Amino acid sequence: MTAVIEVSHLTKRYKETLALDDVDLTLEQNTIYGLLGRNGAGKTTLMSILTAQNFATSGTAHVFGEEPYENARVLQRICFVRESQRYPEDALPRHAFHMASLFFPNWSQELADELIVQFQLPLKTRIKKLSRGQLSAVGVIIGLASRAEITFFDEPYLGLDAVARQIFYDRLIQDYTEHPRTVILSSHLIDEVANLIERVIVIDQGRILLDEETDAVRGRASTVVGDATAVEAFVAGREVIHRESLGRVASVTVLGELDAADHARLAAAGLELAPVSLQQLVVRLTQHSAAAPAAGSQATPAPTSEGAGR
Amino acid sequence: MNRTLSVMRMQFVNKYTFVWLPLIILGASLALSVLIFAMIPYDGGKYGGGSQAPIWYFFALGITSLSYTFPFSQALSLTRREFFFGTMLAAGVTALILAVAFVLGGAIEVATGGWGVNGYFFYLDWVWQSGWLVAGLFFGILSLMLFVIGFWGATLYRRFGALGLTLTLVAFGVVLVIAMFLVQQLDAWGTVFEWFAALGAGGLALGMAGATVVFGVVAWATLRRATP
Amino acid sequence: MIEEGRALFLQIAESVEDSIVDGSLAEDTRAPSTNELAAFYRINPATAAKGVNMLVDKGVLVKRRGIGMFVAPGAREQLRTERRTAFADRFIQPLLAEARTLGLSPDDLARLVRERAAASDTLEGNAR
Repeated sequence: MTAVIEVSHLTKRYKETLALDDVDLTLEQNTIYGLLGRNGAGKTTLMSILTAQNFATSGTAHVFGEEPYENARVLQRICFVRESQRYPEDALPRHAFHMASLFFPNWSQELADELIVQFQLPLKTRIKKLSRGQLSAVGVIIGLASRAEITFFDEPYLGLDAVARQIFYDRLIQDYTEHPRTVILSSHLIDEVANLIERVIVIDQGRILLDEETDAVRGRASTVVGDATAVEAFVAGREVIHRESLGRVASVTVLGELDAADHARLAAAGLELAPVSLQQLVVRLTQHSAAAPAAGSQATPAPTSEGAGR
Repeated sequence: MNRTLSVMRMQFVNKYTFVWLPLIILGASLALSVLIFAMIPYDGGKYGGGSQAPIWYFFALGITSLSYTFPFSQALSLTRREFFFGTMLAAGVTALILAVAFVLGGAIEVATGGWGVNGYFFYLDWVWQSGWLVAGLFFGILSLMLFVIGFWGATLYRRFGALGLTLTLVAFGVVLVIAMFLVQQLDAWGTVFEWFAALGAGGLALGMAGATVVFGVVAWATLRRATP
Repeated sequence: MIEEGRALFLQIAESVEDSIVDGSLAEDTRAPSTNELAAFYRINPATAAKGVNMLVDKGVLVKRRGIGMFVAPGAREQLRTERRTAFADRFIQPLLAEARTLGLSPDDLARLVRERAAASDTLEGNAR
């Protein structure tokens, strides 16, 4: 598969804060990526730098093999509508779409019109007067209808109700199937997008914690529940990423696949196994990483440099 | 270049900002001025400051072009270069429209004897001294210069924040004060005024054109590293 | 319907296998396409494709050029055999463990199984 985005040792520093810390990343063509992380983890910063809207402090970022800064040839193949996007003063939604059609070579007015209907976007209302959800809808429509070879969706669901979000996911899959492209979807609602994304990239405090195929990550962790002593006996020697207890019952989340022998041991010890959703896994990994930043706590063979503790 | 022209087109998609509003302001202040002129009983030529309104609008337009349209242009994956030149082109077109309106207005005023009430909104003697072409250039370039200044101010604010903008204003103020102080010291006010008068509208237009280019270059440099 | 904690493409493959085993997807008929599966389960088409490819590798589905994916002849029996082996691990093992905690011996278990089987046969017989 061809790499369309190559990031190497990318660092972004704002005074004392490291928004991005020595990030290495390669994104392939025609794949849907999930960029997951907390607020302020560095997601928007990363996407901004990739689209030349922001500038790196050090390191390189190449899109289609070139630097994106002031590079119209490369930039017109990308679309990035950010979460709190500003629109021209007094513009109506149709103005925004018309303007977008001028600059995205693959723009589909047909798709935009369908989406306007589906999202019930009021075309006569000025953008600055739209509700948060309607504003998100404008951004989503531009992102989808642009059919740009690399499309970034920066938390596109804010303000969208569950029905609208489902419309977005469905249309995304549908259009992606017919017109494959590279999509980077940044989200908090991990479980909602888990089935859409082929690869999961988890970023926390400017560092990549995880960069793997979604299916490889599912089943990566399990929660063992039962009598505290038995649970502790079972999890001894395994990497624990979360512990909870209520009285004599403990619930411990461990990393690592469990084989048939493990299952037998569990059954014999009277312990139960609860599945760990992708969201829980990401949350636990993030908490775990925040608590133990020093060497050795890496959960997966992700390409980060875990230097001396922060 | 094609995309730059499209940026210019983009600024006119919502005609309200770049076409209707300046014309509305022009029309409204003209109407108001004529009304006031009509009410003043005076036989000589009457002059108000109403014609400044649409010209000052360009200053505001420069600011909003950057504040609101720049971030969106970034979302449309435009380069800063395309945005800058396309927007300047759009401002040029609008300034041209305004200049034409002023020249036509001036002609009408002369023909009707000041709208029948001896009131002069467009036809300011000293501007028209060197003819209608120079007058048109004067108004057009003045508008464009104000646009670029507003644009630059907004870019400064975006890149360096309120502090940066304030410091720049202060710096300009300091330079101005020093200049005035020097003139005072050399007791040269008379010379200065004579010089301006000799310059006339044509000379001023040329000077402003130069200033516009300088401000433009500086604004461009500031924009290069601005983030939406 | 989609479970957490298990690879999605496996679940998709399993779901197709389920319908082959229970007969709703007959041998030699067209299997759902990758895009149809993606749209139905609302998942990434690449994931659906992985599941389908796995079934092709297993010989459960066969690709007929120009027409699409078809259920291979003999797939049903192949899957049933495979599942019979897994059956013991998935169902018998836990059954024995639970039985032990309740103090039931394997003979008790066998007796219970026979009783229940007979009872449900009668029920089915009455229902017909």
